[in-house]
Amino acid sequence: MQDRHSTVYRMILYGIGFLLFCEWLRPLEMISQTDDVRIFFIFAAFCFFVSFLQVPWYLSMPLKGLGVAFILDGLYIGELIFSPGWFAVLTEQVTFNIQMISGQEWWQMTPLFRSLLFLILLWLMSYLLYYWFVVARRMFFFVLLTILFVAVVDTFTVYDGSWAIIRTFVIGMAALGLSSFAKEMDKESIVFKGLHKAKVWLFPLIGVILFSSAAAYASPKFAPQWPDPVPYLESAAGGTGSGGGRTIQKVGYGEDDSQLGGSFVQDDTPIFTATIDGDRYWRIESKDTYTGKGWTDTLEQPVMTTDPFDIPFSTFTEEVETETQTAQIEMTRFASFRKLVYPYGLTSVGNLEGEFNLRVHSNTGEMDTYQGDAPAKISTAELTYEFPSFEYSQLRESGNNDPQEIRDQYLQLPENLPERVRNLASQIVEGEDNRYDQAKAVERYFSANGFEYSTTDVPVPGDDEDYVDQFLFESQIGYCDNYSTSMVVLLRSEGIPARWVKGFTGGERIDSVENEEGDGVQNVYEVTSGNAHSWVEVYFPDVGWVPFEPTQGFSNNADFYTDVDVEETEEDPAAGAADDTQDETMGNPQQVEEEDEASGNADAASSSGSTTFTAVLTGTVLLAAGILLYVTRYRWMAALLIRRYRRSEDEETYEKAYHFLLKVLNHKGLKRKPDQTLRDYALKVDQHFQSNEMRRLTSNYERVIYGNESQKTQWQKVTELWENLIKKTLS
Amino acid sequence: MSQQTFLYQPKVTEVLNNIRKVMIGKEEAALLSVVALLAKGHVLLEDVPGVGKTMLVKTLAKSLDCDFKRIQFTPDLLPSDVTGVSIYNPKTLEFEFRPGPILGNIVLADEINRTSPKTQSALLEGMEETSITVDGSTVQLGEPFFVMATQNPIEYEGTYPLPEAQLDRFLLKMEMGYPTPKQEMEMLARTSNSHPIEEISAVISREELVGLQKETAQVYVDRSVHRYIVDLVTGTRHHEGVYLGVSPRGSISLMKAAKAYAFVHDRDYVLPDDVQFMAPYVLGHRMILTSEARFEGKTSASIIEELLTATSIPVKRTTGE
Repeated sequence: MQDRHSTVYRMILYGIGFLLFCEWLRPLEMISQTDDVRIFFIFAAFCFFVSFLQVPWYLSMPLKGLGVAFILDGLYIGELIFSPGWFAVLTEQVTFNIQMISGQEWWQMTPLFRSLLFLILLWLMSYLLYYWFVVARRMFFFVLLTILFVAVVDTFTVYDGSWAIIRTFVIGMAALGLSSFAKEMDKESIVFKGLHKAKVWLFPLIGVILFSSAAAYASPKFAPQWPDPVPYLESAAGGTGSGGGRTIQKVGYGEDDSQLGGSFVQDDTPIFTATIDGDRYWRIESKDTYTGKGWTDTLEQPVMTTDPFDIPFSTFTEEVETETQTAQIEMTRFASFRKLVYPYGLTSVGNLEGEFNLRVHSNTGEMDTYQGDAPAKISTAELTYEFPSFEYSQLRESGNNDPQEIRDQYLQLPENLPERVRNLASQIVEGEDNRYDQAKAVERYFSANGFEYSTTDVPVPGDDEDYVDQFLFESQIGYCDNYSTSMVVLLRSEGIPARWVKGFTGGERIDSVENEEGDGVQNVYEVTSGNAHSWVEVYFPDVGWVPFEPTQGFSNNADFYTDVDVEETEEDPAAGAADDTQDETMGNPQQVEEEDEASGNADAASSSGSTTFTAVLTGTVLLAAGILLYVTRYRWMAALLIRRYRRSEDEETYEKAYHFLLKVLNHKGLKRKPDQTLRDYALKVDQHFQSNEMRRLTSNYERVIYGNESQKTQWQKVTELWENLIKKTLS
Repeated sequence: MSQQTFLYQPKVTEVLNNIRKVMIGKEEAALLSVVALLAKGHVLLEDVPGVGKTMLVKTLAKSLDCDFKRIQFTPDLLPSDVTGVSIYNPKTLEFEFRPGPILGNIVLADEINRTSPKTQSALLEGMEETSITVDGSTVQLGEPFFVMATQNPIEYEGTYPLPEAQLDRFLLKMEMGYPTPKQEMEMLARTSNSHPIEEISAVISREELVGLQKETAQVYVDRSVHRYIVDLVTGTRHHEGVYLGVSPRGSISLMKAAKAYAFVHDRDYVLPDDVQFMAPYVLGHRMILTSEARFEGKTSASIIEELLTATSIPVKRTTGE
């Protein structure tokens, strides 16, 4: 049916469609959590190519389906492709996600399912664009949509669309020029093949496009006529925090902690999996200087470049009882930082893929992973560590004789710390005679005084407000950063050296495996962005830094024990192994990562982040699927009905079949007016198809409905006529 | 219902062919006349003089082997000139009935609107009944009995327009129209020597005609088509431009005409197409327009056209009801 248009011409049009569609994919990397959009580009290109070939559906469907399967396999599924296990994983994922969708818990959707939906969307788009561009040749709408899309994304997100808009303009111009040329050719019934006579249209078109885009690019432009719409929209919507310019952020590990506060959304992007004996906190670094708004690091130096097999860093002294344990970690491709996550007591890192060295910040414990002189991301590692167990009496009796160096570094407080914070600190520790009990008193203070754990509705301190002061006395609502910072500040104001530590909690246990020696079981934990956390380390002379966990809903999984030789004093409520379930019920601990440092305004699109994106994506896919089903409804209905009508032979079926044919004809533009008799109409239809089939069928049908005659004897012939007509109409 | 076989149906085509030999370009008028004949109805032909009204009737009559009578209506014609009169016979010393022209099988009532209403009604009564009463005795009318009346359009001087109520005694009312120039030239060529009507002969006997009429009555009309007819007729009663709508007799006439039309086309069931075709001829003279509608330039034909457009065709079997 496209005989009039050469393959070359169709290819150009469809290629243009693909280029425009690419403009839709490009911003994904920036505005969503998509790590690598290349794979989607490749898949889209593949789909477009298959659609272009116009192979029958029974070829194109499996081809594209295979593409989807391979991508999912490569990205997410560890099993051998198409093995029973592979299907099991897929089925399980799909079932789970459908449950989540039906429960409207969009944020629970897994990356695999989201990717699956997205791939299907790309698939559908390839059909849709083929139809729009090549069959219907209506591309203006899509060009316009693309320009709008780029403009909106540019305005509301960090994506910089200045080149995208130029590309879209050029491509769109080319598309419109070509189509208008083709329409002109059609109108004049001029047939052209290949690039024959290309110079007649190609050069003028290129000239016009180049000239207009160059002129548009060079000409002066108005400055934005509106104020930046994002703050305006935010203020109109009521905003989230109390000013401060920051809105909602996304949870995850980030480097910049100088501005704490504000709400954030959950994110379950997996960062790494760990095979380890128990639930351990994963340390990354500590920070020492509290500014009143957040944390900065003044003790970055010294940095030692070391061999990963021998790590010269420990947070505790040799006085502490330890047990040697090992753990394997495997970072996912979503882990964006190039630092080592490690459990307390790390001594060596092995089994690295490639030559790595570590740059260890001996004060903060930050371990940058390098390959040569370049920061590099490790993929897997085996960690050997001395798991510490702190003895209660040792901690209680450690005294207050901190080294001068520790006092200088870890008692810092901002000068303008409100007095009431210091007063509160003295109140809390009143009556406790040793450092451990004082620290425990502060740790317990929050849960005992009605503080509320929440990741939303958390205010950002104003210019003249102190972050800790606001949390302790005003909001009393917050997440780990609020709790841990407050505890450090309270302890420091009582003269107890303490520091603020960042890392991840133990994550969710997803599996258990036998350990390498085969004599025990290790658990496999999945640690996600949502497990990012901050906690407190308190200095005890002769012992070193001991972790504390003030955040409600989290338990300190450092090991404490009472030496039987020593008089038993107190049962530590926080002692013992970790409590996985509590983590889950309370939502995950948080470390806030500012989404966009450059623009200052966290963007609206990423604010709702993956949840909205997923919802929109799902909606779009469902909608697209629905539209596709609707658009092709006559095709699949015809296929179904042909089968059904072959079987039954009564007048009612005949009537239905005939009326279905009328509908199909109507759909294809051969409309029957209500006052038009069937005979008249059949004549018109036959004139259109240049046959007499409709008249034959109709005269038969007339006998049935007006003549009250049975047409059983004619059934074979009638069915044949009907099928022919349906096929002819739909072709 | 099994398909019927019509024994006499092919005769219809013969009649139409016969007429075609004489009348040029008057196929539709010929067809309608045959339809009315088969439906046992009567026809009113209305047109200016000289367009072939009388010739049509004469040709039709000649094609049928029936008793053909002609009445030329004049203002001084008396009812007895139509019905016949009893005359005293001096030989037998008795009154003898001399049958009038109405007692033929095919009656041409030429220029029916030129005579007085009294004489008109003598004919119209006969059309309605199967017998007439003359001098106290009942005289049976012929079988078949088919009247074709012609009239000049009523704007002409010296006429007595037929009352609207009597018009619906006619199954159909139609116009002849002028021939096209080409047809007229052909006509001149044919009539230069002798008139072709002299050359045709009867193709149907009286018995065959009665048989045809019986077969026509057997044509099947589905309930869906009944509904369509009723919808159309009801439409005339509710149309704002119509002062007096079509009576139920109009519905019956429309059905009869549609049956005959279907029969002419050798079909034993009626299609909505048949109804659509017949509606203007059957319904047109059975309704009176409001003066507003007339001033707006509407005619009964245009109103029927409107109604046909507004009424949907039944395209499904009627179930139940």
